[in-house]
Amino acid sequence: MDVDNTSKQEVQFNEVPVEFSGRGGEFFGIWIVNVLLSIVTLGIYSAWATVRTKSYFYANTKLDSHAFSYLAKPLQILKGRLLAIAFVVIYSLVSNFFPLAGLFFSIALIFIFPWIIVQGLRFDSRMTSYRNVRFNFHGTYGAAFVTFILLPIVGVLSVYLAMPWVMKKMNEFVLSNTSYGEQRLTTYIETKQYYLTALLVLLVTVIGVAAIFAIVYAALGGLGLAAFAGISTAAQIAGGLVYFALIFLVNAIFKVKIRNHVFNSTEFEDLAKFRSNMAILSYFSLIATNFLAIIFSLGFAYPWTAIRTARYLAKSTQAKISDKASAVIDTMGDHNSSFGDEAADAFDVGVSVI
Amino acid sequence: MKQQLAGTYYFPKSSRAASVELLVNGEMVNLYQDKKCIMATNTAQLSVSSAIPGVALEVDFADGGKFVATNSGDRLSLASGKLERLEKSVKWVLASVLLVPLLIWFGVAVLMPKLVTESVNYLPDEVAQEMGEQTFYALKKSILDPSEIAKSDREQVINQWQQALDKLGLSREKFQLHIYKSDFLAANAFALPNGTVVITDQLLISLQDNPDAILAILLHEIGHVQRKHSMRIVAQSISNTIIVAVIFGDLETVAELLVGTTAALVQNAFSRDMEREADTYAFEKLVELGIPATAFAEAMQSFLDLNHSAADLPATQRKGLLRYLATHPDIEERIARANQYAK
Repeated sequence: MDVDNTSKQEVQFNEVPVEFSGRGGEFFGIWIVNVLLSIVTLGIYSAWATVRTKSYFYANTKLDSHAFSYLAKPLQILKGRLLAIAFVVIYSLVSNFFPLAGLFFSIALIFIFPWIIVQGLRFDSRMTSYRNVRFNFHGTYGAAFVTFILLPIVGVLSVYLAMPWVMKKMNEFVLSNTSYGEQRLTTYIETKQYYLTALLVLLVTVIGVAAIFAIVYAALGGLGLAAFAGISTAAQIAGGLVYFALIFLVNAIFKVKIRNHVFNSTEFEDLAKFRSNMAILSYFSLIATNFLAIIFSLGFAYPWTAIRTARYLAKSTQAKISDKASAVIDTMGDHNSSFGDEAADAFDVGVSVI
Repeated sequence: MKQQLAGTYYFPKSSRAASVELLVNGEMVNLYQDKKCIMATNTAQLSVSSAIPGVALEVDFADGGKFVATNSGDRLSLASGKLERLEKSVKWVLASVLLVPLLIWFGVAVLMPKLVTESVNYLPDEVAQEMGEQTFYALKKSILDPSEIAKSDREQVINQWQQALDKLGLSREKFQLHIYKSDFLAANAFALPNGTVVITDQLLISLQDNPDAILAILLHEIGHVQRKHSMRIVAQSISNTIIVAVIFGDLETVAELLVGTTAALVQNAFSRDMEREADTYAFEKLVELGIPATAFAEAMQSFLDLNHSAADLPATQRKGLLRYLATHPDIEERIARANQYAK
């Protein structure tokens, strides 16, 4: 759906530039020095490193020539990080040394997980500001429990047939609960688009896997275990590359189709509209070359890949802003913990929509 | 000292913005819009953002207003710029490029394994006891089925084991031998941290003519217990998780994957070392019992034969990259070591 049809027409929108001005060389210096300091301080400095890195990316992202700001303070992050690590240590001690008790811990985790998600989203939103007005997140624990625990169970029970719908519900939960100042984000994302994307992914996966088997068959004249065991090192690497290429292609399709749809169907009513025109092939070649660069540079290319990814995303985004953008009100106090955020980091349960 | 910066001022609690000049003179701070002073305050009423290369300076005022400098290189002498100087210094960046890989390697491959090996000695015995009992319970519920071997044959094996334990001065109570059938494990044997030893029907059958080989395998397994190997593996995996989470919390997925791979390779090397340690333990104890260490070689050879006939998979042909992914040393290498020891 095109949001141009859904907004009232009396508000005047103007196309504004979306820019990313970060530079690889500059960020490399920040990154490598911060990694060194994090190691020698046994991880304590990593809270400062996180804030500096995020600040760099936020401040270099400009919409209508105004930059974003990252507001979190290192001590906030450090506190959350220490709590999260204490939790991870206790969890892994218990689940490794006392497997049965660990089982109960896992069940408890199911109930903690939605809280971590909500806290993480709230922290991220509140720590982001644009034109001195903060974002906020209003999702509740109950709704998060339904969206991230119950619905995925439904998805699995339906033999994954309902999964695209579940993913749409997850995105919807995040989007519709986000606000800029007092202005809520309105989203019109459609279930249909998620199913079309899932179908495309399925089709590409089937073709890709069939292609891999065909290549192996042609190269070895058989598909038995013995044939696989006879593969040379070079063939192992080649096989691995094809496999990774398929993973990246599937990733690219998903990210591009969903991001484009989400951006094109979400707006701050009367305030801002967005458009995303990412293309599957260009994004695929971006993430595939990023991966190769990181592997062959033993990780040192990471800053360069992060910068070019941010630049690509900015270039693929358009925004229109109304004259009301200069009169948004911020009513938020500053009370929030960073624990949920850090626990989410340590457990790798990041929820991202775009 | 007098400083003047061009930038944008955002009014408190709103997105209203204006082009302004910020003037700092000693402790006095003034904002000028179109040459008119719109705010006069002092340095105690504001906080200046930490300087980061390529990031425009931000000044937050106590009333909620915010100033952002236009030129990303402009700085005020109010804020400390030490970190920024490190991040921009060629010397520091080069030193970091050299030191970071060295320190990661040292931490993951040298320091942590040493710390882990030391620290498991301080774990109370109750932990190993509890861990073994719970794991045994879980295995019995899942992949272990009652043995189908005749009771008298089983008793004979257990008797032989207990006699060997007595001769070696090891506790019968601790190293209890159990025999189970398991389709999942096939021909296999393992020991749990509390000393419980399990051997499968399939392995007993394949070694039924060679009781010394059975003994060799069981001794290898309790070698793992005596050297606290499972506790070390657990402690190692916990410490790796923590290292990755603590130091590389903000590295993003791909870089985390790389660090994870390094840790996994180190862990597998660690695991191969432990297998060798358990092998050596078995050799020593076999000799103590008056059995040649070649009994171990025979046991390994039968593993090889079993694998050959079962899956058509040449287990010894772990060539190229796959070798580094293996958790056990090459079987032929282990056979050679046993024969070497026997000489």
